Amino acid sequence: MSEMWINMGPQHPMTHGLWNLRVKIDGEQVLDVDPEMGYLHRGIEKISEDRHYNEVITLMDRCCYVAGLSWEHLYVLAAEQALHVQPPERAEYIRVMSDEFQRIGSHVMWYAAFVQDIGLMTPFLYGMRDRDLVLDLFQSYTGARMTYEYMRVGGVRNDLPPGFIGEARKVCDWLIDRFVEYDQLCLNSDIFHKRCDGLGVMNARACIDHGITGPMLRSAGVRRDLRKDRPYSAYDRLEFDVAHAEAGDVTARYLVRMEEMRQSIRIIRQTLDWLEHHPGPVLAQELPRWLGAPYAPVGREGYLLKRNYPKGLGFSAIEEPHGEALAYVVNEGSEHPYRVKFRSPVFANVSAARQYLVGYRIADIPPIMGSVDVCVGEVDR
Amino acid sequence: MTTSLLSVSIALSSVLLSGVGSIFPAPIQGGLTNGNTIDALGILIFGVILLAASMLNTIFLIWWERKLLGRFMDRRGAMHVGYAGLLQNFADGFKLFRKDTVRPRDADSMGFFVGPTAYLVTSLVIFAILPISTGWNSGNLPLSLLLAITIFSFAPLFIFISAWSSNNKYSLIGGMRSAAQMIAYEVPILLAIVAVVIVSGTFSLDTIVTEQQNYWYWGPLFLAMVVFVAGMLAEMERIPFDLPEAEAELVEGWNTEYGGMMFAYFMLTDYVRVLLGCFLIVLLFLGGWTMPSWVPSAWTSFPLAGIFWFMLKAYAVFTVFVWIRASLPRVRTDQLLRVGWNRMIPLSLVSIVLAAGLVLAKCLPVFGCLPNLGG
Repeated sequence: MSEMWINMGPQHPMTHGLWNLRVKIDGEQVLDVDPEMGYLHRGIEKISEDRHYNEVITLMDRCCYVAGLSWEHLYVLAAEQALHVQPPERAEYIRVMSDEFQRIGSHVMWYAAFVQDIGLMTPFLYGMRDRDLVLDLFQSYTGARMTYEYMRVGGVRNDLPPGFIGEARKVCDWLIDRFVEYDQLCLNSDIFHKRCDGLGVMNARACIDHGITGPMLRSAGVRRDLRKDRPYSAYDRLEFDVAHAEAGDVTARYLVRMEEMRQSIRIIRQTLDWLEHHPGPVLAQELPRWLGAPYAPVGREGYLLKRNYPKGLGFSAIEEPHGEALAYVVNEGSEHPYRVKFRSPVFANVSAARQYLVGYRIADIPPIMGSVDVCVGEVDR
Repeated sequence: MTTSLLSVSIALSSVLLSGVGSIFPAPIQGGLTNGNTIDALGILIFGVILLAASMLNTIFLIWWERKLLGRFMDRRGAMHVGYAGLLQNFADGFKLFRKDTVRPRDADSMGFFVGPTAYLVTSLVIFAILPISTGWNSGNLPLSLLLAITIFSFAPLFIFISAWSSNNKYSLIGGMRSAAQMIAYEVPILLAIVAVVIVSGTFSLDTIVTEQQNYWYWGPLFLAMVVFVAGMLAEMERIPFDLPEAEAELVEGWNTEYGGMMFAYFMLTDYVRVLLGCFLIVLLFLGGWTMPSWVPSAWTSFPLAGIFWFMLKAYAVFTVFVWIRASLPRVRTDQLLRVGWNRMIPLSLVSIVLAAGLVLAKCLPVFGCLPNLGG
């Protein structure tokens, strides 16, 4: 066969979303790749400029469909800074717990998709089954399974329902056993190692050069985690280790994500202990009136406030399941943000595709791209 | 068992023809009740019965795989059409039957339609060759094993034809992989069969089974069986060797462009070949329709007992295949080739030497003494 370009996407089982990977192949060998993004662009940043601060949260759920709460958290942190609002401590803990459950949900979803890429069918359904437990928990306190709209500028919408903590503990106990099962299905299989070891290698230098963050960076031996390096919410009061590996290949990314899930459980257990003994308000009391209660009608009165509300800039950086997400919110004194800007970790991770795909085989593309954990919603925004 | 499927069919055809012939005048009646006519219709009836039986079996096989996979995956599989979803595959088949067959504009129409049809037909033909019980095949051919394996290995050719003519890059790569894969597993399979032939001294499947009356060959020829089963997994294109239709990177590989009934041909043929593979394994290594002598004779003497035990063994083998599918990832093409050339061929050569040694040292009857091996 001569050299040819093939399109892996926009509708292709490998993509896990809506994007296109153009691949130049010679037989089975990959000579060049060219990731094309933008199929899912909805202009979320621009739409945000026309929304009230709390209405932007709705859009954040649509940023990443497997980590909606993390993106809400990212935005509300920046918005709080821009609006000079301080959330109560209980809300911070609830946010951290939501973040970590979201990380587990996202990583389990990643696991399910990733094993499907290398041809394992059974763990896919195990992953989906266990993710449902996390979604059930989300449903019990946010009311939704995918688009939560739960966090608010100045706290969270509502407190946890009675009995939640016990249920959450049960889910944690169940999940920690399932992770052992996941490892048995993958790491104990020789074929898994044959398919994943030494694939898509990115060393620490290359990762940093390309702005790669998150599990991909940590799998290359760099112990960078914003939860430790730039603690936000309640992370500075919680104990956990930064998962990391040295090899920088697909197996290393697998190991890092698995360890992260275990660490997430550890964090969640600490937050649950804290939440059990510290009741209190979950929404800041001294909010601007137009930010006030959830679903408060925001009419013309909001416009009256824009003359005298203090201006501000908000910046936040969180360790999202996929990597480091940054947000920048400019408050010009109106009830709408003047400008909102997000940095998607996956965009940087996917943009470096040429670095970690060229030279491998066409059959290696699904496991490598699977190990990157692409979430197109946040790439295109 | 003295009756055979062919003799039953010919008896049926003679009854039919004499009944139909009696309403016609003498010359036509004479022509209809002529021995040649009776034989011809008998063979036709034989073919139809065989086709219906193999199709039903294949569809049941798909159901069994879906249910088993469901259980492995902590779900229930097909549940709603028929009892426990037994009729689900018929529903799926009818859905595909009602669909249009779409041919891409630039596809080669000849190859595009001939490929899947030939793929299906060449696979179905083998059912006529494989005996499933004494007399339950078209006849005791002296070289039936060789013939079956030969026809069995036509498939990659037709896959390649349909892949190339559908004018799609994924299909082309899938077809190429299928051709490359054939080279890797065809040789070890044949060498493993040589071991069986050495021990049994015949190419006839009937005789190979009768030779296993005393001990099944999986004991003395364990190595050959391992090679054969691994090769069969590749031949049947099942996980972990389903690279030609790897859905993750090739979007079902060589059948990307096929839809409707053409896709159903491929799907059905895949399972026809799986069933055939299980049959071959049972025939060559698991004693066919024979049962060990310690099994109570009441269990082996009821009508059609041979077929019952044969199918039971075949489905047991298939269950193992499903188990493998549920728990293993897919290997890569180069890895499969490496396994084929570097591991399976040497192993099959070793198994030939072992088989020859066992025959020369006359220690085969030893295996007859072990009760769990049969005999």
